[in-house]
Amino acid sequence: MIKTLTHLALLFSSLSLSAFGGGKVVLPSMHEAAVGEFHWMTDQQFVDLFSISMAAPGPSMMVVSLIGLKACLHYGVFMAILGAFIATVSMFVPSSILVYFVGKFWDSWEESPWRHSIQQAIMPISTGLILAATVIIAKTSIHTVPTAIMGIVALGLMLFTKINPVLMMAVAGVISWIFLK
Amino acid sequence: MENQAAPNPDQKAPRVVSPPTLLELASLFAFIGMTSFGGGLTAYIRRLVVSKKQWLTDEEFLPGLGLVQLLPGANVVGLSVYIGNHLRGPIGSIVALTAMIIAPFIMVCVLGFLYFYAGKTTDAGAILAGVTAAACGLMASMVFEAGQKAITGIFDIFLIALTFALVRLGHLHVPYVILIVSPLAIWWHRPRTVDGAKHQEKEEHQ
Repeated sequence: MIKTLTHLALLFSSLSLSAFGGGKVVLPSMHEAAVGEFHWMTDQQFVDLFSISMAAPGPSMMVVSLIGLKACLHYGVFMAILGAFIATVSMFVPSSILVYFVGKFWDSWEESPWRHSIQQAIMPISTGLILAATVIIAKTSIHTVPTAIMGIVALGLMLFTKINPVLMMAVAGVISWIFLK
Repeated sequence: MENQAAPNPDQKAPRVVSPPTLLELASLFAFIGMTSFGGGLTAYIRRLVVSKKQWLTDEEFLPGLGLVQLLPGANVVGLSVYIGNHLRGPIGSIVALTAMIIAPFIMVCVLGFLYFYAGKTTDAGAILAGVTAAACGLMASMVFEAGQKAITGIFDIFLIALTFALVRLGHLHVPYVILIVSPLAIWWHRPRTVDGAKHQEKEEHQ
């Protein structure tokens, strides 16, 4: 019990400080820990929870709440909520403290040429990490011709139109419910 | 209030509005939390805080945006901390951050319990199959968007491939991957001196 909560706290606070470019870049690590290392859930459950968090309102990192919830679910409802809470706090607080303190020195640093260097250096790393996350999601979510078509159409819509992603996911859910049930 | 609002010819008035109370701060960020989905949020927050509420000027907002884009964590989360602190100090940061994530937190917990206790019925399974496929397409679009900004030369493609390989084939955790790849990436993108800039120009002309 305490062990699970400790694992959650350590995992997400270290990922919090690594999430350059947002929560999605640390998704491969969440997957590795939740499915591989600690066996909190199956591949399918991980991808389902990820999709639920994407379709629900809030910052994109809310999937951590769901991972915390599932990790402690077999200890009961109260513990599940506590797990979700610990995971969420661990994910949001360390990076926020960093923003707070770096913000104090920011003015003197803003003009430094290194700022642009670091920004440009982070980009390929986050791209590689998001690519890894996409492969993880794709391996579980795209397994039939209809889901492949929906995934590709969704990609095209996101790239070439200004459609709201949540609306798109909702429509995909309805279409899938009508045709795949 | 009316006296304050009365036009004063001497006033240049870049900041028309006095700082918000903690309650106003909390309600705005609660609103942002509940209406924010996925990406593209920074423009949305700027419109609310700078244009609509006029709590901050662009000169105050944009450095904060630069800051949170550079640091780890979601941009919205960092912005809530930065804006909260700017307006009401450390307490403002805590209030803005908490207000923003509390409703989404409750909502995903409810959805999580539904998912695990109601079980995956045929209906839920069918709906989720579509949602996950679309979510996958959404993630893939983020790869393209990030890649477009990232790739300035062949070395960036190498960095993307190296990062991907370390995570997927090496099964390394993301913090270690960042520790390994970032020195290389920062070295490559280091600020070039005048001399270096000339070198780079030559390389580009090849």
